[in-house]
Amino acid sequence: MTHRIVVDVQTGEVTQVEYTAEEQAAYDAAVAAQAEASAETPAETPVEPTEGV
Amino acid sequence: MSVTLNASTSSGLVQTADTSGTIELQSNGTTRLTVASGGVTANNLSLNSTAITSFGGGVITSGTAVASTSGTSIDFTSIPSWVKRITVEIIGVSTNGTSNFLIQLGTSGGIVSTGYLSGVGSRSNETTSTAGFIVGIPAAAGNNLTGIIPICNYTTNAWVTSGVLSRQDGFLNASGGSISSLGGTLDRIRITTVNGTDTFDAGSINILYEG
Repeated sequence: MTHRIVVDVQTGEVTQVEYTAEEQAAYDAAVAAQAEASAETPAETPVEPTEGV
Repeated sequence: MSVTLNASTSSGLVQTADTSGTIELQSNGTTRLTVASGGVTANNLSLNSTAITSFGGGVITSGTAVASTSGTSIDFTSIPSWVKRITVEIIGVSTNGTSNFLIQLGTSGGIVSTGYLSGVGSRSNETTSTAGFIVGIPAAAGNNLTGIIPICNYTTNAWVTSGVLSRQDGFLNASGGSISSLGGTLDRIRITTVNGTDTFDAGSINILYEG
């Protein structure tokens, strides 16, 4: 299962919260859509100048 | 009712008492200072700066640094309602993809994912978002970012940000944005990616908050 990290700033408690079934379904659909889109469109490689800003 | 000391202009010092465990200091019937089990509350308090010789700390509060090595988002919750400025601290954070980094604010009703006006740019690459404060452009998977993103209260539920992240290849990612109405009191903040599916795989994140 996919998860998110949740930090309670009052208590300092850090928890790993698993996606709900609904969230996981949305996640799976998004990943599938991205895979489909990348299969249809050649991936573009970001081009940056060689010198930093 | 509580234990009350009232500096009355008609009767001088008036004292009333009960067993509530609360003490109130009044000026002519108006409570100015309340000492209760939950803390001290002052009404219309003024502090003379020359009288303040030191603070014991707590003016800026640090959250809890968390490793950003898994998950699709990192939420900092239970942010106090009096907070006026949050600083997101990002150190060496990367994901397994190239989706841009996004910071979203939230209320007790959940994370707000609409209504933002934000943009980020590096030397030859820029983009915008209405789904959150877009703050970083990882040009390649594993390309990590470091820096701070201050987020400041503008009016009641309006917030504004501007910050810079340094990418490991040397390019700076400058960002800015605002949200005119969060729809409620801010109590949480989320660091995620635009596509919401890339997974954090390195670094750590923390926040500072202050009133």
